[in-house]
Parts: sequence; C-alpha cells; structure tokens
Amino acid sequence: MSDDGHRGAEPSPIERRVDAIESLLVEKGLLTTEVVDAIVETYEQDVGPLNGAKVVARAWIDDDYRARLLADGTAAIGELGFGGPEGEHLVVLENTPAVHNVVVCTLCSCYPWPVLGLPPRWYKSHAYRARMVREPRTVLAEFGTTVPDGVEVAVWDSSAEVRYLVLPERPDGTDGLSEDDLVPLVTRDHMIGVVR
Amino acid sequence: MSPVTAGVPPEIPRVNGELAFDALWESRAFGLAAAYLASRDEDWARFRRHLMDAIAEAPPDTPYYEAWVTAFERLLAGDGVLVTAP
Repeated sequence: MSDDGHRGAEPSPIERRVDAIESLLVEKGLLTTEVVDAIVETYEQDVGPLNGAKVVARAWIDDDYRARLLADGTAAIGELGFGGPEGEHLVVLENTPAVHNVVVCTLCSCYPWPVLGLPPRWYKSHAYRARMVREPRTVLAEFGTTVPDGVEVAVWDSSAEVRYLVLPERPDGTDGLSEDDLVPLVTRDHMIGVVR
Repeated sequence: MSPVTAGVPPEIPRVNGELAFDALWESRAFGLAAAYLASRDEDWARFRRHLMDAIAEAPPDTPYYEAWVTAFERLLAGDGVLVTAP
C-alpha cells in the first residue's frame, strides 16, 4: 500500500468517496466530525488486545473465573468491564494439550472488538479467510506455529452471532508470576489462535 | 499462493493502540459508519450484510476498506440518505 494519506497530493477516488460521505452526513446534521474523531480515537487507543490479555491472565490465576469464562464468555468478560459492539455473544475456546483452537471469519471479518480491538490486516485478507479452513496447519506454519501431529487443530468460523476468543495454555515456568506480570505474555495472535 | 503473513511484522500487542488502519481515509470510513449506526442506536447487523456482499462481489485483492466504503454507501442509499450515481 503506497497510500499513506500524504498531504498535498490529489485525493484518490476512494478518498473522495469517503470525504463526500462525511460532508453529506455532516451537512444533513446526522453526525459531527468531532463524533467521528472520538470514535476513531477510542478504537485506536483504548480498545485493543490488552483487554483480552487481562481476561486471559485472570483466567490463568483464578479457576473460578476460568470456569465462568468458559460457561458464559460475555458475562465473565463483562465482569472486567469489557463489552459493547461486536461483543454481544462472546465464546471462549480453551486450548488444551489435546486441542489447539484457531479463529477465522470466512465471510467477512467478524472479530471480538471489546477484547481484541480492530482486526489486523491479515485477518481480513482473502488468503487468510479462505485458507485457514482448508489447510490450517500450513497457514499456522506460516505464522511460525507448529502444532504436533497428536494435537487436534480446531478451526472456528465466526458468524454474525458469535465472536470467539482463544484462551491459550498458561506457559510453563510462570507459576510465580502475578496477574499483572502475566498480561504482557498474552498476545493478540495467541487469542486468535495463530500462535500457540 | 502467497503466505498470508507476508509483509506482516511479528507484533506483541501488549499495549493498546496498534495501528489498525493503513491510511487516514480508512479510519474515517470506519469512524463514519460507527458514528452513523450509533446515532441511530443501531447494531452492525445491517451493515455487516452489505459488507459481506461487497467483499463477495469484489475481486479477492480489493482492499478491505474499499468494500467497507461500498457497503456503507449502499446502507446510506437504502436509508435514503445518499442518492447513488455510479
């Protein structure tokens, strides 16, 4: 992508389309530029995979929370104060020594915004959406993730109704760590399942 | 078939604020749709159907947010807000 919104250059056709939509909606009084700014800022800065990492760390240290999380993801995630659009029906998938879970949305880009923020570019790509279902081990290998033959790979296709979050296995050697120390160990890619 | 991770640097998203947009117009397109739906107290269901259709119709290498803009234009057209002149 060479389009970085460079100033001074002629706007591209797609930039003109977006500008036209914004002008129209503002002129009609349907929204203001400030409201749009605030929403973009919220998603870029305040909502992100850190929320999901906090959920995972809590589940690692608190067995009761973990049980509630697996029974009703939306409610348990709501206990930590996270929820909102695209988080109405969250289902948490627990990785085990026997099963590795990975999430895709084959139709578009359904993604659990309240816990992971906005999806990364590759998640929205045609290649990821098409291939993760067809050849998951090959795609995982491209992320540097090797799943041993004896471990099942379960691919979950997000739908309009359900958003999935993967609960990774707690890493070995972290028994002495506090919840706050565990949070930085959890990455977005763990919670999508492309990293084990 | 190119690897899906080509060009994607390994990231450790332990801090919020990962750059989700490649260009300013993409973040505006996202924010406009989110603000519009919020102003109507409407969820994403209707927009998502338009988005699925726009992605399905477009060539596979079409940038995601171009399909997003198309979907939003159609939604606005359906609401009578936008009169399309393609």
